[in-house]
Amino acid sequence: MAELGTLSLFFALTLSLYACVGSVIGVRKSLPELVTSARYSAYLTPLPVIVSVMALVGAFLSRDFDIKYVAEHSNAAMSREYAWVAFYAGNEGSILFLAVALAVAAAVALALAPRLHQASLAYTCAVVTGVLTFFLAVLVFLANPFEATAVPVPDGRGMNPLLTHPGMFVHPPMLMTGLVTVTVPFAFAVGSLLAGRTGDEWVDTGRTWALVSWSILGAGLLLGGWWAYTILGWGGFWAWDPVENAGFMPWLVLTAFVHSIMVQKRRGMFRVWNIALINTAFTSALLGMFINRGGPTPSVHSFAESVLGWVFLGFMVVTALFSFGVLFKRINFLRNAQRLESKLSREAAFLVNNLLFLAIAFVIIWGQVFPVLSDTVTGVTITVGEPFYNQVNGPLLLALVFLMGIGPLVPWRRGSFRQLRRALLLPFIMALAVAIVLIGLGITKAFPLLAVGLSAAVATGIVREWYRGTRARHRSGESYPVAFLRLISANRPRYGGYVVHLAVVMMALAIVGTYFFETQRDVRLAPGQTTEVSGYSITYIESEQRDFPDRAERIATVEIVAEDGRSLGTFRPEQSFYPAFNLRPARAAIHSTPLEDVYIIPNDFFPDGTVGFRVLVNPLVMWMWVAGPVMVLGTLIALWPARSRARAPTMVSVPSVMPTPARAAE
Amino acid sequence: MSLLQGTRSTRVRLPIPNSAKRIRPLFAAAVPAILLLLFLLFAGACATKTLTLEERAQGIDQRLMCPVCPAETIDQSQADVALQMRELVREKLRAGESEEQIFDFFVERYDKGVLAEPPAEGFNVLVWVIPPVALVLGLALLWFGIRHLGRPEHRGMSSEGDWEAESERYLREVKEEFEAYRRASGAGEASGQGS
Repeated sequence: MAELGTLSLFFALTLSLYACVGSVIGVRKSLPELVTSARYSAYLTPLPVIVSVMALVGAFLSRDFDIKYVAEHSNAAMSREYAWVAFYAGNEGSILFLAVALAVAAAVALALAPRLHQASLAYTCAVVTGVLTFFLAVLVFLANPFEATAVPVPDGRGMNPLLTHPGMFVHPPMLMTGLVTVTVPFAFAVGSLLAGRTGDEWVDTGRTWALVSWSILGAGLLLGGWWAYTILGWGGFWAWDPVENAGFMPWLVLTAFVHSIMVQKRRGMFRVWNIALINTAFTSALLGMFINRGGPTPSVHSFAESVLGWVFLGFMVVTALFSFGVLFKRINFLRNAQRLESKLSREAAFLVNNLLFLAIAFVIIWGQVFPVLSDTVTGVTITVGEPFYNQVNGPLLLALVFLMGIGPLVPWRRGSFRQLRRALLLPFIMALAVAIVLIGLGITKAFPLLAVGLSAAVATGIVREWYRGTRARHRSGESYPVAFLRLISANRPRYGGYVVHLAVVMMALAIVGTYFFETQRDVRLAPGQTTEVSGYSITYIESEQRDFPDRAERIATVEIVAEDGRSLGTFRPEQSFYPAFNLRPARAAIHSTPLEDVYIIPNDFFPDGTVGFRVLVNPLVMWMWVAGPVMVLGTLIALWPARSRARAPTMVSVPSVMPTPARAAE
Repeated sequence: MSLLQGTRSTRVRLPIPNSAKRIRPLFAAAVPAILLLLFLLFAGACATKTLTLEERAQGIDQRLMCPVCPAETIDQSQADVALQMRELVREKLRAGESEEQIFDFFVERYDKGVLAEPPAEGFNVLVWVIPPVALVLGLALLWFGIRHLGRPEHRGMSSEGDWEAESERYLREVKEEFEAYRRASGAGEASGQGS
């Protein structure tokens, strides 16, 4: 197995290197055959990488503890389905996952790319396989997952117990896929610049792939929140932890990009800016990978891993210099097709959106880097944690919700205040009404009132747009459902975007609910004892202990009774102890309703039979998880290709392959 | 889409005087309503709810880091130290100590890193100052960027309508270049490093 794995990695590296170098030489020396051959080589690269993935998963399944990675991340007691999770549980395996995801995405993207521009496609191929070559080279030379164990061991150490959770089958793969596929839109942008194509040809493909990467990353982040909520035992889903931030930062930059690319798509503007954005997104994705491998923040990573971290950081610096260098070289050719006609226009609104998203991303980087700065300057280690991010990013997020209520209602090109006032009147009356109702309910904090009110404005604006469009179509003779569906399919980027905005509204509600209105109690209960937390009676009935070779599970049985005396059922939250890791992952009892969650987690089992529980009543959390599928649905609508007319095979095998840099240099 | 907007605005245009009359009272009502909202906001802020001891303690928990676990507050962590620290916070609150006193106590014991947010003093003021400064700089850049993009010289290059002409011109250019390239069969240098 180990030999097969290493061999196929080596093969993959060779193929990918050939694809990269071949493309560059082919396009520079005008050898179309070489360009094509290099691209075919990129199509082939996924095969050996997949084989090596299968070899590694197979090694986990056959419990081949002669492989160091397998011995470190699994043991004989591990159930078989977790072989898949163990595969990316460590450093080497996760890099292999990044490589396989990128290899597949690159091959698919190159195969589906429009054939109009041979030269830019060749450069795109070179960029994307160049990045892939980096990952494969790291695997072959620095972090080979198939390395043999130094001293044979009878049993492995076991997988990190925090990972034994159903969410782990999807969350890390999605997060990593999202991070690494940013390379694809980046490659299309840089590729077209390298080829001297300074127009908008890369925009459609770049936007599609950016959206793909953006939605996968977003879904991965949400799944991570869900995992933290159910297993980490403190009742929250987001803590601005370095590793969370590592995925969030590129997502923010990508969000800015998928908005502002629409301006280029429709109006041929922001050409420099969009490329700068996608370069930044790619750079921050690499920064994220660096942070995950022992970045500047406090971590328990070993020395070997931090060496790898610096390799990633070095690669990040090189690619950032390269991509911005290319942009700088071509900057004079990236003129806007049109001028910005008014400060009150959709174009300008998108720029404000970009500023806010980048500001949040900047705050995150700043918070990550500052402890290092402070340490070197003052010599005192300080912490920049959750309260900092909440206080600084909270208002920025609020401003984004506000903008989300206005931006979509501002017309392209030029709006007037009159028109805007009319468009905003109803949404903001709604906002006011909601705020007044909330005040009536006794909520007096400013931030939640503003956030919920603005969310109401956003939702009203969207629903009204849908209603108006549908009604207009209905008047011309379509039935309401047909009219609604046709309305959406007539402008998919726009109406798909609205669906995503609704998902964001749901998330805003969930965040406000948990952050401002959560009730938390730590109680110690004897069997049969009852406690009351905001209307719910919680009775601790009994507990039992089950011993396993690698862990001891302690399960408490509790009953939740609602305020009106109705029983909501008995639940069996549990806490396990893994001596090998000194970790105590928990599994919470969660009774979820759209209004609020009751969340119970046993933290301490005392010798006298009492149990220390943490009980939380978390308003509106469920909407966070509902938002995920809604967001994906919206992205799919936005991505769905328009009825294929653009797909006409304009296979111009014109020798446009060649001296394009010379053209740019004119 | 633009078609849709077109039809809508033409439909609306006819009864403008009417709709304006309808809307203005609403708009007039909005202003007092906003004032009312502001009043309620401030009233709410002034009428500070007295927090229970447990709520105050939780607020403190969320601002203290667990000294042995990477990047977790004592509110989040299940480590024994965190448990003891939580207990200590409650004890001290019951003994009537203020929040500052409690934070000072833990800083003395575990150093400044125990605070989840850096205190705004000395060099660490920067962590709080730089983000708003960056935002203001960003806003300024945005303002000038928008003004720059609004200048008339940005009109023109190739609007969407000219796309055909533009691409034809480009194709011609490429062909010419290719011919020139073929003639100057010195090849390799042709793709030179011009700019």
